[in-house]
Amino acid sequence: MTETPLVEADRLSRNFPMRSGLFGRSRDVFAVREVSLTVARGEAVGVVGESGCGKSTLGRMVLGLEAPSAGTIRFEGRDLSGVSGAERRALSRRMQMVFQDPFGSLDPRRSVGAQIADGLRVHHIVPKAGIETEVARLIDVVGLQKSAAKRRPHEFSGGQRQRIAVARALATRPDFIVADEPVSALDVSIQAQVVNLLADLRRDLGLAMLFIAHDLHVVRHLSTRAVVMYLGRIVEEGPSDKVFGAPAHPYTRALMAATPSITARKVDEGHVLAGEMPSPADPPSGCAFRTRCPIASPECAAAVPDLSPFEPGWNVRCIKAGPAHPTGAQP
Amino acid sequence: MRKLILPVSIIAVILALVLLAPILPLADVRAMDIPHRFAGPSLQHWLGQDEFGRDVLTRLIFGARASLSIAIGSALAAALIGATLGLLGGYFRGLVELVTVRAAEVVLCLPPLLLALLVVTILGAGFWPLILALTLLYTPNYARVVYAATLQVRGLDYVTAQRALGTHPLTIVLRTLLPNVLPPLVVQISLVIASAIVIESGLSFLGLGVVPPTPSWGLMIRSARGAMEQAPMLLVWPSLALAGTILTFNLLCDRLQSVLDPRTVPVGGAIWLRRRGATSPRPSSREARVPRAAGPAGAGAVTDRAATDRSGETKPADLLAIEGLTVALDRPGGVGSGMELVRGVSLALRPGETLALVGESGSGKTLTSLAVTGLLPDVLAVTAGTAAYVRRDGTALDLLAEDEDGHRRLRGDEISMVFQDASAALNPVHRIGDQLAEGILAHRAIGRAEAANEAVALLKRVGIPDPERRARAYPHELSGGQRQRAMIAIAVANRPKLLLADEPTTALDPTIQAQILALIADLKRDNPDMGVVFVTHNLAVVAEIADRVAVMYAGELVEEGPVAEVFARPRHPYTAALIGSVPEGGAERLVAIPGTVPAPGQMPPGCRFAPRCDHAEAICRESEPAEFVPAPGRRTRCLRYEEVT
Repeated sequence: MTETPLVEADRLSRNFPMRSGLFGRSRDVFAVREVSLTVARGEAVGVVGESGCGKSTLGRMVLGLEAPSAGTIRFEGRDLSGVSGAERRALSRRMQMVFQDPFGSLDPRRSVGAQIADGLRVHHIVPKAGIETEVARLIDVVGLQKSAAKRRPHEFSGGQRQRIAVARALATRPDFIVADEPVSALDVSIQAQVVNLLADLRRDLGLAMLFIAHDLHVVRHLSTRAVVMYLGRIVEEGPSDKVFGAPAHPYTRALMAATPSITARKVDEGHVLAGEMPSPADPPSGCAFRTRCPIASPECAAAVPDLSPFEPGWNVRCIKAGPAHPTGAQP
Repeated sequence: MRKLILPVSIIAVILALVLLAPILPLADVRAMDIPHRFAGPSLQHWLGQDEFGRDVLTRLIFGARASLSIAIGSALAAALIGATLGLLGGYFRGLVELVTVRAAEVVLCLPPLLLALLVVTILGAGFWPLILALTLLYTPNYARVVYAATLQVRGLDYVTAQRALGTHPLTIVLRTLLPNVLPPLVVQISLVIASAIVIESGLSFLGLGVVPPTPSWGLMIRSARGAMEQAPMLLVWPSLALAGTILTFNLLCDRLQSVLDPRTVPVGGAIWLRRRGATSPRPSSREARVPRAAGPAGAGAVTDRAATDRSGETKPADLLAIEGLTVALDRPGGVGSGMELVRGVSLALRPGETLALVGESGSGKTLTSLAVTGLLPDVLAVTAGTAAYVRRDGTALDLLAEDEDGHRRLRGDEISMVFQDASAALNPVHRIGDQLAEGILAHRAIGRAEAANEAVALLKRVGIPDPERRARAYPHELSGGQRQRAMIAIAVANRPKLLLADEPTTALDPTIQAQILALIADLKRDNPDMGVVFVTHNLAVVAEIADRVAVMYAGELVEEGPVAEVFARPRHPYTAALIGSVPEGGAERLVAIPGTVPAPGQMPPGCRFAPRCDHAEAICRESEPAEFVPAPGRRTRCLRYEEVT
């Protein structure tokens, strides 16, 4: 653990001032609140949570596409907030992003080849003469036909577009990729193609990945470490097999129970989490999850629990952290 | 590109005339011939002579030089400046926006004609001051249009992707933003050219534009006005030239816009031909279907046959029995008419059963459910098949043969639907409670107040907190999960016999999805005879809620059977591959089906899955597989089903 992590986010927060009414007091609404996270070389970290939990904002902040309100991001130990302009753009060669919507992330008016070549040109990855062969190589890496380079994005299916987006991200030979819901817009069999592609790339190229998704199964399949977020905060983080194998936070457990599984298991209404995520503009006092938590008790409202070590490398933000409580056995 | 031929050739003729005017064998533009003033058309003077006896045709062509160069010149100059301001302001926002777009908008505060008058008064009348005045006048329009388009585009993922690539901001503006804001810009140019021609003419007419004796269309109109009674045609010629040119520019820009859009799909035939194609064949195709559904007795026979076909056990009669449903593109004369999107689908649903219809996009699962409810889009039509359905009062009918009136009586009453996107399915301008009450009143003779009370009770039933208040809320005031609950409330308001749910939980978060699935299960307990057809692409959801599953691929049903059995031992390679592609169970690599679903026009011969199937043999590629019954209550469309694991 002496090696500097590739990416290190330290107490990142992102808030938006919001005013209630014309003359109301302006209040801060936190999309992300004090999130610390590290990604080592070649590591795949999965971030899960429901919409509005701040996971996408987190991903964009880590890449510098959105400025954090507080906190720092370090890339190989360098604080990114102090880097700007040309130097910042040069750094972006090493971190890339794959977006959720393969229909929105490609420019409809330019050929696929030209879009993949953008990264090569901007960062002078290969000499001008070699651009065409490099584009062909990248298209081949993601498993598309060579003729794809000359076509426009609308001629491709969702899965193929997502491969193009991956090829574009790979063009700059990054060390780190943020993938924001890269498969959720795809069909099942196509989803598997992209999941396999990402897994292969990580293995073959040693890419570090921050993998943002709401599908627990996909995250569990792709990541070595998992981070679970709720209402802007990390509620549990640790090795994937532990977090998903024996979740210690009641929210992670609820998420697991809510995720349908192909192995026969009829819906058990007793385990369905009631209610919806509270508005970030008006979070509950204390633990944000207590309003929906099956094991909440009055002391949960007192203060926001710390993200405290449950086991080495496994942190949980719950005063009752532990293996599943049998239902009904509430204190 | 063919679309551009007409406007481009007209403009080419106009421009050629204008540019070649000096060398054309025209009369002298200034040569007066007072004795022949107001002379009518003659061989020497095709369009006649004006008040000084000058040749009208010559003046018209030379006049176009001034009018068009002023209009096009100022429109392009304003476009260049305005687009630059708009792009910069829209992309960088903040201070840049203030000094570009907002500053340009100051010009908008001045009345346009007054501004033009001001410039012309300061700089004197003439060609260049007019261009300057018009450029100044139109720049803010461009800036605003481009600014608005830029704001829309800058938030899109492909722009963010460019930022993530580390592309220089100015490069992003030029290479990514500019092409994507071109369409509104092109439209704006067409409008501005047209309006600049008019304003130029207006200013010249007022004596503030082009200085006589240089001809311009505006000046011609001005001088012709004085002689309107003697020679009305003198007014008509320049006006026609003006109107014709403006219309041509509008046409060019319209066509340019559609050519510039890479997504335009070439469609065959003129629009009036296509319209007729979509509506007229309906009655004829219904006639063709009538013999097959000859009244209740005929439909009943179909039901019986379907029931005995599948297995010998005795069981309640089917609620819905679809036989050989085929849906095809119906656009006579159009491209791909007759193309089958769903082919020969047979399905049966018993009362109280939940049937999951699974497949990927383009598999025809949604079309199947739409066909049953008579909601197919206009360009599609049912070309074969029956759907026997037994009504509440015991009469049997063929849903596929019903006309719109028949469907309307059933929809929302006996047969109801839940869609994926509740925010699109609910009417945004009506309160939730009113929409619910409307559904109840459409099918039941009860009072308004009673319906309103029932609406509140239904909202409570589907688990919406504080239902009295929520009934008065508009759809946008509810969260996504609550909207879906409200839509389910509308669907079950009249205790339907058949509920068709098309991806009702796809857009929802896991915990909300679990709530909705639990709600549907719960509602079925209320109404145990309700049959549910659940269309989804998510196999895990199928495992959770369905009794039987029907797997569709490329418009065909490939496998059907009880969920537990099908998932434990799939009998079609496609089902097996789908199950293998679910990232559960810790396999190192997922099963990814190579390739993609074939497009409807390019179905392979033989088994449609053969090109992607790892069990396929020569025979699979040659002949279409028949339906096999691997076990009681199960069906598969695979020759080699025994080898599938």
